[in-house]
Amino acid sequence: MAKAVGIDLGTTNSVIASLEGGEPTVIPNTEGSRTTPSVVAFTENGERLVGQLARRQAILNPKGTIYSAKRFIGRMYDEVQEEIKAVTFDVVPGSDDSARFNVRGKPYAPEEISALVLRKLADDAAKQLGEKVTEAVITVPAYFNDAQRTATRDAGRIAGLEVLRIINEPTAAALAYGLDKREHETVLVFDLGGGTFDVSILDVGDGVVEVRSTAGDTHLGGDDFDRKLVDHLADEFQRETGIDLRNDPQALQRLFEAAERAKVELSSVTQTQVNLPFITASADGPKHLTKSIMRSTFEQITASLVERTMGPVKQAMSDGKMSEQDIDEVILVGGSTRIPAVQQLVRRLTGGKDPNMSVNPDEVVALGAAVQAGVLKGEVQDMLLLDVTPLSLGVETRGGVMTKIVERNTTIPVRRTQVFSTAEDNQPAVDIVVLQGERERAADNRVLGRFQLRDIRPAPRGEPQIEVTFDIDANGIVDIRARDKDTGVEQGITISESSNLDRSEVEQMVTEAERNRSSDQELRETVDARNELDSIAYQVRRRLEELGDAAPEHERARADMLVGEAEEAVKNEAPTDRVRSLTEDLRDVYNALLARQPGTGGATASDSGAGGASDDVIDAEFDRT
Amino acid sequence: MRHEEQPPAEQQPPAEQPADDQVVRDLEDRLLRALADAENLRKRHARELRQQAAAERDRIAAKWLPVLDNLDRALTHAGAGPDALVTGVLAVRDEAVDVMARLGYPRHEEVGVPFDPKRHEVVSVVDDPRFPPGTIVQVLRPGYGDPDHLLRPAAVTVDQRQE
Repeated sequence: MAKAVGIDLGTTNSVIASLEGGEPTVIPNTEGSRTTPSVVAFTENGERLVGQLARRQAILNPKGTIYSAKRFIGRMYDEVQEEIKAVTFDVVPGSDDSARFNVRGKPYAPEEISALVLRKLADDAAKQLGEKVTEAVITVPAYFNDAQRTATRDAGRIAGLEVLRIINEPTAAALAYGLDKREHETVLVFDLGGGTFDVSILDVGDGVVEVRSTAGDTHLGGDDFDRKLVDHLADEFQRETGIDLRNDPQALQRLFEAAERAKVELSSVTQTQVNLPFITASADGPKHLTKSIMRSTFEQITASLVERTMGPVKQAMSDGKMSEQDIDEVILVGGSTRIPAVQQLVRRLTGGKDPNMSVNPDEVVALGAAVQAGVLKGEVQDMLLLDVTPLSLGVETRGGVMTKIVERNTTIPVRRTQVFSTAEDNQPAVDIVVLQGERERAADNRVLGRFQLRDIRPAPRGEPQIEVTFDIDANGIVDIRARDKDTGVEQGITISESSNLDRSEVEQMVTEAERNRSSDQELRETVDARNELDSIAYQVRRRLEELGDAAPEHERARADMLVGEAEEAVKNEAPTDRVRSLTEDLRDVYNALLARQPGTGGATASDSGAGGASDDVIDAEFDRT
Repeated sequence: MRHEEQPPAEQQPPAEQPADDQVVRDLEDRLLRALADAENLRKRHARELRQQAAAERDRIAAKWLPVLDNLDRALTHAGAGPDALVTGVLAVRDEAVDVMARLGYPRHEEVGVPFDPKRHEVVSVVDDPRFPPGTIVQVLRPGYGDPDHLLRPAAVTVDQRQE
């Protein structure tokens, strides 16, 4: 079956996505990028280039390289006078006074250019997916009028795509966050892209999304932030050296790349370094540009740009007759919304609300369009909604720690089994304490239930194999069974309230675990080390018993001494370094003892090495009950 | 005997009904488990992809360590005079180019070849009568990789007749 895709046909870049196993996923193009420049070029020798290739030759071919076609699509020649001034190619009136691009004497409609971009996206996606792409949902800005929407639909048709629907970009963003499934809500979508800025206020609920109002600035975006930073760096360099880097195309290109990288870095760190060695040369020799930029400096030089987003936000709110208290959710779209100052402003304008930004803001629109395509094709409806375990489940093991059997966020129904053993010789029973939570110490987690598995046949510690199985059904009901593999004796309980925690409780437990992670980790290591020492000491003792008189006196004496120290260390909870070094020593002793043959002179002496009783992995041991 | 008993048993509706219900329940359970399995596999896959990416990053970074070491060495001997330093830095550069080539990104800085957007990016345009139009006059920054696996195009100056 052919795939239905979602396409974000952008002014500067476009993105294509499809539903993969119920999840919307961006499909990279043949060059390996997740975004494709919305640029088309017609070269002198009649070649047609689309995307990154077209952009690379733009300077060589300023009249034959068409970009920003979205600014012209479905518009009259008279309406686009301002836009014409900003582009290098020729725009002429068509037969019906619509805007046309004139390339080497041949007129092209903006929808033809967009069609070439769509065609490349669909072809590359088909190559990646291994199946034809014939149907698409395409997004447009909320403010697009009928003519612009029709022209976009035509672009899809020219590209050989059946356009299932044209949807608004903010609507797609809301779909990507699944907000349409909520009850009645008001959503503000703040979209600061590479070259345009849009704000929309949406009414969502019961599967319907409606645009209440929209506002924006058609010439404001991330590129402006780059330019501010380039100017800042170039001005400073000029002040220091008298050389204007903006007159040197190569230096300028390096400067733009460095500025963009610095901008991106300053979203996650508060200071970054711009390092451009040999940026230019003067009579005194080569010159280097080395400059550290503070986030505060960046915020200062771009403050005017951030300020410019305020007007449209206020406009959209007043047009939609909304105050900041009426906004339930805020969604950030466009790469520039990663800038902390932008996020702060959005928070301030929406009454301190934390904006949604968990979905990649460069891809959220295409992802939402893919969701819409899936809904229209009935793919989403067939999806069974499966639950996940909100917290990890496991059992308490030796040393009072929790051994996880089912990790949190595991999709259910699921069955997981682990094998445990006894911690003492001839241990007759084990206590199974069922725990829920993320902490390492058993006592810090919730006890869901406990039971005992009895009648374990007398055996040295570590030998019995107790298989513990957690089976969680689709409703979150947990069935826990413990089975002695030797006798087949089984015990178990069923717990139905494992999932009746509300979200805040779960979140609290997860953050608590996060906060205590390093101390928990330490505790876990200490307990593991102690258990390891205890186990090797036990093995050495058993080996000594097996060997009897065959063990040389000096080795026996040293082994006895170390085992004594080990028992002392385990009992007194000695520091981890001491525990580890004792473990090392005992391991050496054990290896030496393994090389000795028991005095009985039996032929098959080596088959009873401790721990070698079975190939099954023992994960942990249960304390004596 | 058993052979004869079975067919009538299957035809009796009361006996059949619970069996069918059981079958449906079993199938439903198996479907849900298969779906959950697929979902858990997807999560594991995503986790392993991240681990793979980290391991790969380690591998690549390790390849660069000798280059870094040699740069350090060059700097410690910087006092030996500019000529020696230049020779040293040149050697380090060649080593770095070699690392790139071994990673699958050979260096490209050919002049006089026709412009090709698959491997070149135009930074400026000049009118140079020594070259035919559309030729690379100067490589401002070398490119790495081949057209089917391009890391970065070469930044170039291209010849074009000015009208």
